[in-house]
Amino acid sequence: MGSQDLTVSRRTFLKGSAAGAIGAAAGCLGRSAESGDVTSQGERSVVHGNCWICRAECGQEITVEDGRAIDLTGVDGHPKASAGPDREGTLCSKGMAQLEKTYNPNRITQPHIREDGELRAASWEEALSYAADELETFAEEHGSEKLLRYQGYPLAKHPWHDLFFKNLYGAPLKVGRKTTCHGPFSTSWEWMSGYGREWPDWQNSEYIIAWGRNVMECFRGQWEPKGVMDAKENNDATVVAIDPRYTKTAQKADKWIPIEPRTDGALALAMGHVIIEEELYDEAFVEEWTHGFEAYREAVADKTPEWAAEITGVDAGEIREIAIGFATAAPSAVAFPWTGLAYQANGFKNCQNVHALNGLVGNIDRPGGTRQWSKGFSLADPHEKQGIDVPANYEDKPTPDYDDYPFQKHGIRDVSHNLVPKAVERGDIKGFVNNWSSPPKSGNTDEWLQALDDMDLVITVDAFWDAVSKRADVVFPGASQLEQPFLKGGGDSSYSTSGWVTASRPAIDLIGDCKPDYQVYKLLAEEMGWGEYFPWESGAEYWDEQLDAIDMSFDELADQSYAIVSEVGYEQWKDGGFDTENGLFNFDLDVKDEYAELAAEMGASTAPEWQPPDDKHYGETTDDDYPLLFTDVFVEQLSRGHCQALERSVAAYQERYDVEDWDYDGNVLHINPVDAGERGIRTGDMVRVESADDSIELMAHVYEGARPGWVATVNGFGETSSHPDGAGANSMKLNKERHVEPVTGMTARNHPVEVSRVGGEN
Amino acid sequence: MSEEWTFYFDPNSCIGCHACSVACDVRNDRENADDNWRTVKHEGTGEFPDYEETTVSISCMHCGNAPCEKVCPTGAITKRDADGIVTVDQDKCISCHYCGWACPYGAPTFDGEKMSKCHLCLGEGAGDGAGKPPRERPKAGGTTPACVDNCVTDALHAGPVSEMMELASDAAVRKFTQNDRQLIVEPTEEVDPETLGD
Repeated sequence: MGSQDLTVSRRTFLKGSAAGAIGAAAGCLGRSAESGDVTSQGERSVVHGNCWICRAECGQEITVEDGRAIDLTGVDGHPKASAGPDREGTLCSKGMAQLEKTYNPNRITQPHIREDGELRAASWEEALSYAADELETFAEEHGSEKLLRYQGYPLAKHPWHDLFFKNLYGAPLKVGRKTTCHGPFSTSWEWMSGYGREWPDWQNSEYIIAWGRNVMECFRGQWEPKGVMDAKENNDATVVAIDPRYTKTAQKADKWIPIEPRTDGALALAMGHVIIEEELYDEAFVEEWTHGFEAYREAVADKTPEWAAEITGVDAGEIREIAIGFATAAPSAVAFPWTGLAYQANGFKNCQNVHALNGLVGNIDRPGGTRQWSKGFSLADPHEKQGIDVPANYEDKPTPDYDDYPFQKHGIRDVSHNLVPKAVERGDIKGFVNNWSSPPKSGNTDEWLQALDDMDLVITVDAFWDAVSKRADVVFPGASQLEQPFLKGGGDSSYSTSGWVTASRPAIDLIGDCKPDYQVYKLLAEEMGWGEYFPWESGAEYWDEQLDAIDMSFDELADQSYAIVSEVGYEQWKDGGFDTENGLFNFDLDVKDEYAELAAEMGASTAPEWQPPDDKHYGETTDDDYPLLFTDVFVEQLSRGHCQALERSVAAYQERYDVEDWDYDGNVLHINPVDAGERGIRTGDMVRVESADDSIELMAHVYEGARPGWVATVNGFGETSSHPDGAGANSMKLNKERHVEPVTGMTARNHPVEVSRVGGEN
Repeated sequence: MSEEWTFYFDPNSCIGCHACSVACDVRNDRENADDNWRTVKHEGTGEFPDYEETTVSISCMHCGNAPCEKVCPTGAITKRDADGIVTVDQDKCISCHYCGWACPYGAPTFDGEKMSKCHLCLGEGAGDGAGKPPRERPKAGGTTPACVDNCVTDALHAGPVSEMMELASDAAVRKFTQNDRQLIVEPTEEVDPETLGD
């Protein structure tokens, strides 16, 4: 595959003839720039939508004037967009900025196909025919099992991508979020407590430990920060933020604990030590509903706060205070780890140790604790209703069987995100299909770029030119959320004991030659002779059939935006036990055979344990050459998707750190003044971040909110991103195949580095 | 009966998410970072690990004694009697920038042709506030200002001064009356309302 630059520079766009450019782009940047006259109001209506910028489906009210969406706000009372019944609905800054996504001049609005090595615009007929031919040839030459399904963020997580590529085409291999986002967190939780979407019951909590999760800035829906603020106001909740970075969560917290990075597991063990020593744990719960308590008790017996203080840099008295505060508030207390821990090579054990605290104090699925959210209802299967038997053509297809890494040797998974390039090199993956995702910014970047070039077939559905779409053979222009119908149901929300559904119709007509996701797969299926599996005219029709199960129509639901459907009580484990190997909450994971074998081989305990970074399995350590630890982080203003392409989102991010006047559109490197001073670095300087493998360059932001010895930036920028100028740095250029967490294969994002000044006028 | 309107802001509730400033940009078609009517500032104090931040959402405060109005040579800027909202009549504006310089917060901004500023969403976009009928409360048919409408944590409010005073603490009201009836802002440990914009 080749690569080419098809992106309009945003700066060029803005600095050129605004009127002409905007006219050519069909008014892409708003009304005032066209005429200066915004008082004349055409036909206006307010319709519902569901925000998909961070995939939290917050209910939207969209103001549409003469067919153009002009304003947005949240739906009052919406389970995701509000704090609950009769509460005001809002949207966050990135949600508010999404009109710029829909009307962006850099959007891909036509299908493209590769011809003679170059991408060119094509009609849908051409593109579908080309894609179908390529897929058939691929299956004949390589077998459909060699087409990787890379799980992105298709609108409303619709089922049609998998229906086409997994069930019909027969591609069994998928790489998803478990190895780019949350594997150590979610897999440890799955084995300990059963999956069921663990997430805090924020609004009812009295003690919140945000552990490597910046909930006030990186929320999945407006209900989260609103719930934390409600907990503070209504329950006088204590909030503790454990994070080497001063975040907005730290700002709102009663305590900011800027822990030595990657030592979270030691802190958690010491807290367990205190809670057991003080007999503050939930004896009845532990006795009746858990497994492995004795192993846990033994593991923490000598893990005193003084022991942990040496490792974590957290004062022993403070450790004792937090442990006692947390256990005393339980069960209305929650310790919730997220990417801060999941990004660590020793993150599995660190997460297990934190999860163990929740089991110890018996807060699982109790009010204000860590809720095991579930819908409490099911939607209908439209294929079953239509009497359509969907084949499972992915079954019995050969898949790679690797044993390079522990997670591969013991049957946990064979291909993780960072291992895709190796599978391509070995000939086990020859192509991939991508939907709304940008893998080269999620780890092992350079090898991923090479792998994309080496693949025989790359198909993507997306909206912007980035490292994948520029290298693709077929690019289908996906419609933005405002142009598509939407349906989603769930549990986690401001309605603590309710399941809900939310839906919306397309708010505006399709932009350019874009198509809704359903149509992309339906048309491709028809081209391949599988039209019978897509008999519905639209996604809305499909969802209408799904809603039969709860006696609602799609139109009825879209009119009201959301509906509360079911009651889901607390303590669901009392009815049938935990959804684990043994029906119990497991402190000790000896019950999970794959993990028990893996732990035995690695010399690890199956019980909670402290696993320090060791330059072997659990993370590389800093030294004289690379004395600073680098990682990447999230901020509120940018989502994990396309926000780097949105001027308003990037501007809000820059304003967040007061660097908006630096004539620089990229991400900034947060560095403590002590570390910066030693290197002659000041805010606004361009700096090189160099690891043993590679280097990146970006602008420095000297910040008291960064722990000395630790530097960080937000990911998603740089030359492979959807940012029109490719500004800033792709942090994952520093990441290589070996940077994986050994239990789940998750990309580990901590890298020892040195930072040096390469330019600046300060 | 007409009554002066103002903003009420509680930094203790603000989470610094910038939804207010982006909502203002969207409703009022602010496209250029130099021409934003509302900004969010993050004021840091102390050294690691005793570092703390306070967030301040700031726009035109529709001052009781508006310095921008006083320096405008053409009378384009008006502190309206009916609702106290300070507007720019862009037909009269000669783009001399005096208002922007006179304002301690730099609230009036240049939109490429004329000066523009927050009009408390009397209308939408630059030039849409001047000459509009008096501000109505949302329940009487008026719009909720975009920034207020999208404040995630109810940190920002707007309304007649008497209503905003009811929401505010005595300390905030006292500051407001001492401070030329600008924004009503709750004090925090880190931020003194009198130093906003310094």
